Amino acid sequence: MKKIKIKPQKLFNVAITYLIILAVCFIFLFPILWLVLASFSKTGSIYSFDGFFPTEFSLDSFIRLFTDTDLYNYPRWFLNTLFIALMSSLIGTTLTILTAYVMSRFRFKSRKTMMKMTLILGMFPSFMTMTAVYLMMTQFNLINQQWGLILIYSAGAPMGYLTQKGFFDTIPSSIDEAARIDGASNFIIFIKITLPLAAPMIVYTLLSSFVWPWSDFILPQLLLKNKDLYTVAVGLMSLDDTEFSRFAAGSVFIAVPIVIFYFALSKFLISGLSAGAVKQ
Amino acid sequence: MANLSLKHIYKVYPNGTKAVNDFNMQIDDKEFIVFVGPSGCGKSTMLRMIAGLEEITAGELRIGDIVVNDMEPKDRDIAMVFQNYALYPHMNIYENIAFGLKMRKLADVKKDKTGKIVTDKNGEPVQVMRHLTKAELDEKVYGAAEILGITDYLRKKPKEMSGGQRQRVALGRAIVREPKVMLLDEPLSNLDAKLRTQMRSEIVKLHNKLQTTFIYVTHDQVEAMTMGTRIVVMKDGYVQQIDTPKNLYQMPANKFVAGFIGTPQMNFFEGTLKKTGEEVEVKFNGSDSVVKIPYGMLVKVMPQYLDGKTNVYIGLRADDVTIDPDEVNGSGTTIKVKISHTEELGTETLVYGDIDMSRDSFGESPTQIILKAAGFKNFSSGDVVDAALKMENVHLFDAQTEESILPRIPKYNYLDCAVKDGALTFAGVKIKLPDAIKCADGEYELLLPTDAIAVGGDVAAEVLSCEQTDGKTLARLNIGGNCMFALIGGEPGQKVGLSLDLKKITLRSDGKDIISPMPLINSVVGTFALDRVKKQIEEGGKLKTKKVSEYSFVMGGRKFKAPLDVAQKMFAALSGRKVFNTAFHYEWSPYDMAISDDGIEGEVTEVLDYGAEQFAKVDAAGSTLYIKTTGPVSGKVHVSPDMSAVSVVEKDRNIRIV
Amino acid sequence: MENLTKQSAKSKIVGFFSDRGRKISEFFKSLPQRIKTKFAGAKEILYEGNGKVRASMLIMGLGQLMYRQWAKGILYMLVQAAFLAYFILRGASDFIGFFTLGTQESNAWYGIEGDNSVIMMLMGILSIIAIIFYAVIYVSNIKDCYVIQCAADTLKNPKSFKKELAELLNQKFYKTALALPIVGVSVFSILPIIFMILIAFTNYGGNIVPPALVDWVGFDNFGRILTLGQFAPTFFKIFGWNILWAVLSTALNYFAGLGLALLLNKKCVKGKTIWRLFPILAYAVPGFITLIAFKYMFSYGGPINQMITDAGGTAIGFLDIDAKWTARLIGLFANAWLNIPSSMLLATGILSNMNSDLYEAARVDGASAWKQFVKITLPYVLFATMPVLISQFIANFNNFGIFYFLRGGLYMDGYFLASDTDLLINWLYNMSIDNNYYSIGAAISIIIFIVTSVISLAVYVLSPSYKQEETYQ
Repeated sequence: MKKIKIKPQKLFNVAITYLIILAVCFIFLFPILWLVLASFSKTGSIYSFDGFFPTEFSLDSFIRLFTDTDLYNYPRWFLNTLFIALMSSLIGTTLTILTAYVMSRFRFKSRKTMMKMTLILGMFPSFMTMTAVYLMMTQFNLINQQWGLILIYSAGAPMGYLTQKGFFDTIPSSIDEAARIDGASNFIIFIKITLPLAAPMIVYTLLSSFVWPWSDFILPQLLLKNKDLYTVAVGLMSLDDTEFSRFAAGSVFIAVPIVIFYFALSKFLISGLSAGAVKQ
Repeated sequence: MANLSLKHIYKVYPNGTKAVNDFNMQIDDKEFIVFVGPSGCGKSTMLRMIAGLEEITAGELRIGDIVVNDMEPKDRDIAMVFQNYALYPHMNIYENIAFGLKMRKLADVKKDKTGKIVTDKNGEPVQVMRHLTKAELDEKVYGAAEILGITDYLRKKPKEMSGGQRQRVALGRAIVREPKVMLLDEPLSNLDAKLRTQMRSEIVKLHNKLQTTFIYVTHDQVEAMTMGTRIVVMKDGYVQQIDTPKNLYQMPANKFVAGFIGTPQMNFFEGTLKKTGEEVEVKFNGSDSVVKIPYGMLVKVMPQYLDGKTNVYIGLRADDVTIDPDEVNGSGTTIKVKISHTEELGTETLVYGDIDMSRDSFGESPTQIILKAAGFKNFSSGDVVDAALKMENVHLFDAQTEESILPRIPKYNYLDCAVKDGALTFAGVKIKLPDAIKCADGEYELLLPTDAIAVGGDVAAEVLSCEQTDGKTLARLNIGGNCMFALIGGEPGQKVGLSLDLKKITLRSDGKDIISPMPLINSVVGTFALDRVKKQIEEGGKLKTKKVSEYSFVMGGRKFKAPLDVAQKMFAALSGRKVFNTAFHYEWSPYDMAISDDGIEGEVTEVLDYGAEQFAKVDAAGSTLYIKTTGPVSGKVHVSPDMSAVSVVEKDRNIRIV
Repeated sequence: MENLTKQSAKSKIVGFFSDRGRKISEFFKSLPQRIKTKFAGAKEILYEGNGKVRASMLIMGLGQLMYRQWAKGILYMLVQAAFLAYFILRGASDFIGFFTLGTQESNAWYGIEGDNSVIMMLMGILSIIAIIFYAVIYVSNIKDCYVIQCAADTLKNPKSFKKELAELLNQKFYKTALALPIVGVSVFSILPIIFMILIAFTNYGGNIVPPALVDWVGFDNFGRILTLGQFAPTFFKIFGWNILWAVLSTALNYFAGLGLALLLNKKCVKGKTIWRLFPILAYAVPGFITLIAFKYMFSYGGPINQMITDAGGTAIGFLDIDAKWTARLIGLFANAWLNIPSSMLLATGILSNMNSDLYEAARVDGASAWKQFVKITLPYVLFATMPVLISQFIANFNNFGIFYFLRGGLYMDGYFLASDTDLLINWLYNMSIDNNYYSIGAAISIIIFIVTSVISLAVYVLSPSYKQEETYQ
């Protein structure tokens, strides 16, 4: 093998690159590491830490999280959020996929108008509707009901149909035409051909709509007054300042599956982000 | 296995663009028809209309003998192969092919669990529609797979297969439907060159095996020529020519077809033709060389092109130009060519040059010439050589319309004539002019259409030759020493007596038409109306009074009952109730209208007596009508047209409906 | 490749406005024509429709019944009956109530319940939506009857009901599929927005909440925000900070993400996937968790201050009430931490689509790495992600969480119900939810909407993505 002379300039370059990368990764890692360690601390309070790190380690926080449920009923919150996430994911995905499919495949008179309206409505700050939603829910008797939350998540989901539509756009329409010649109605084409081909996108939509309720804070806080009905996000927010390690433990517990989900779909995230974003 | 009938098919988009204009064609069973043309010519649109994937704006499409305009694709009994195969990616090959079959229902008799036929209370077997059994599916799928040689891949998925294999699967999916018509939309465009030639022959073999009508769309004229029994050349939505490959190559109808078919492309030059005695001088613009050809070759050409001043396009294929020294020496028609470069192809060489010595071509020029030479040649750029032109294969086109001026069937015979004392003399024939033709004495040019000559009359003629061309019989005649053409039959040497249809002649002087032929199409503008009328009709053995819908053509203030089939075609061409609010041209021939007691009011302005026939010129409903009469008529009359012979054109979009 | 930076910004802006002006005048000139064509259909029906069609105009479904379309006729009649029932029982009073917003004061002494204005407005909007839905169905009823008439007049058999139902699964499948999503979006997304827009024109809030009566006040609220001493200074201060924040944070996140993507893209970096995991980790953890973690980290008793005190210094109040710029900087940093990973992922995706030939050609031409970045990478990435950039700008402009969690609920002097790090949206929250100034909050929302939509439209239209779509194709 020929010996290649490495220029000192290049070596310096590479070294700086790796240095920066390491620094960046450390910055990203650190707060999470801190939280994880804090969740394993013996005492509950942040003030007993030696600087950043707990003095003693134990699983106490986790145990208390699940057992000390008088004031803070974490398992209850967990189950609540699970139910809400599951239902809104299923309903929301169905509605979104239907909308995206129709917008991609059909050309009807009000199509362009609907697309422009969705775009404009999306520009309203989502927060603006909070008061209205609160009042509406009161009127419909859906305050303090999980279904109120589920309805809002699911009903609003189709507004974000653009990514899914972009995906459907990539399925060539000649497949639909071949199926029509074979004798399939549009409904059958949808069920037997488009849906199976869209499986990755459906999974992506299901999972990303599943994850959202776990981290959404504002809406549940508005609509759920009963402590028993809290989602995890609201519940953790209601913790006292002194319960930092319990907070850390609770956060870590739900963060783990979410992180795993994001890792599994990291390649989807990239294409999902760019499909909706990039000019075709 | 069926024939197709396409009548007046139009595709017009809502914004007014016409993708397909007045497409008419009869396709026989088992033909291999190719639609060919450049991108955007409408060939794919036409195919998709046949398939049912696009709506037919106007016209009638029949498959078998059934009108299928409004039928869903699946009911038309057709199958389609797409350019990008359109296989279902998530299914394996077996399922891809079986997909359409699984949705079908078969008529069968109802059987109970033991297999016994179930009968209804009359003892008749009960009819049911059932899906195909697995065994039946297998049989069909394997059958198709065997024909195409893909039985080994039935459990694989499309993405595991090569382009050629995928195309075979697409073909398999199509033939398993046992369709009446196979439609193929540029199926070979996505394959590499070698595979393409292989698949070409396979498709032709498939056609021979299946004995089904094939309609094939391509932009590649080589594919069209090698595969089709008949080819439809299209451009910008219009049909240019429908013919066999041989005829397209040898007798293109216009410059576009001539340039489109054949590689390398035909050479086109602008030039003039000048008739000098029995020879015609062909002069190429840009070249000093003059080529002389016998007039006999251009007998069917209209004289106005032979005056030496009118520009025409001269078309010569590369194979009809040669620089082989033997041929050049023996040829009387040579031209000087300045060579620019050559392309060695192994068996032959393509030599590129220019007939204009002053150009040094580095790019396109209107005087460029491509010719073929055998073997390898050694030329340098700038060499000037003599090239022999095989003028027997020359093609000539009008410089403006680009139509061929060498028609297979000439429209007119051109003769010098004279009028004196009410008699017309030409070619040694003297005919008394009928009263209808009033012409001053003098010398004129006579245009006598070839279809105005019929057997059975006084004009003496001798048949020189007779040919079958373009579906008609064309005879070449000798009348008083002049060569003329007529659409009649006969044996060479036969002596016949002819009669002339004088209402079709034109007399021309100094370029102006003094006498014009009588119009053979009467066109009246009118509308269409619906009336609800109370009528007594028989229903269930009793006479009842009911309101019935009556449809009528409204012209000149009068209503005429519309024939139902015509009305239905008009309904098909216009949506909603627009048919009642649009203007139409109603057209009849003079023979389909009559002067009678009832009808459109009009006034006779003139009676044209052509001797054997008399026609009344009537002003009615805002138009001038020419109507055959049997006796003298004058003054105010009524015109009654024969509704069953009407032709209808929608005025605004100019769409011929019937 | 066109050098976009050379084009002077001034000429672009001038060109933009004259272009807009021309387009707007064209739009208005074409309006009469467009209205004519839209109503041509209606005109046709009015002129051509026969007696049966007119019957349907009176009683929905009557014309269909006269044409023996039993099922459709009965369905339409039921719809009309249902609507009339609704309208008589409730709808009419709800509709009127929308305009009056209640007239009956409640009086505990006399046991009078009084009118709840806000509920009345809500039900009023619902009644308007019901009227609109009914109008749509009414028009479709007439059109449907006309279609039947056309078919009958032209000897085409009208479709049987069974066939029409089958069409709903085939040609008209889009109607079936969109029905539910449209209803859902209308009620849960559109309705609240309309509601809030209308609230901005009332005096709902503060003391005037049910059971007190609320009234329409027109543009008063907007006037008050912009001029009244109570609101105006706060509004302008927060608005200014909001814009600064949006620009800084978007730029920081975008370019840092791009830089990170480029860094990790370099040939000399091994194990790219491993390095990318760390930002993804940061992206994955729910935002509020990390924000609260940051809050603790920078708090008085928190780890950073502990380290500082241990080293001998005095504890710094990072997020203190006086710490205006440190708090803002920490906000910027925390926001970057949260959003750079997604920027990086996006940039990585875009870069992978890039044509590397461009770089090689540039190297042959002798361009340095920095020049390559500015002239090749930057235009391409900006072009491809302009829409995303705009939506990120809007998201940052409206980023509620960042300062709510870091420093929520602080009210300072010189600010009405806000702090010096609050964005407009935090101020909104403080006013509406915590202090019931609903109408003012709604007015602010509308202002936010106008500002963000104008900015994003302007940027989008000015951007290369809009004008030169074919450059990279």
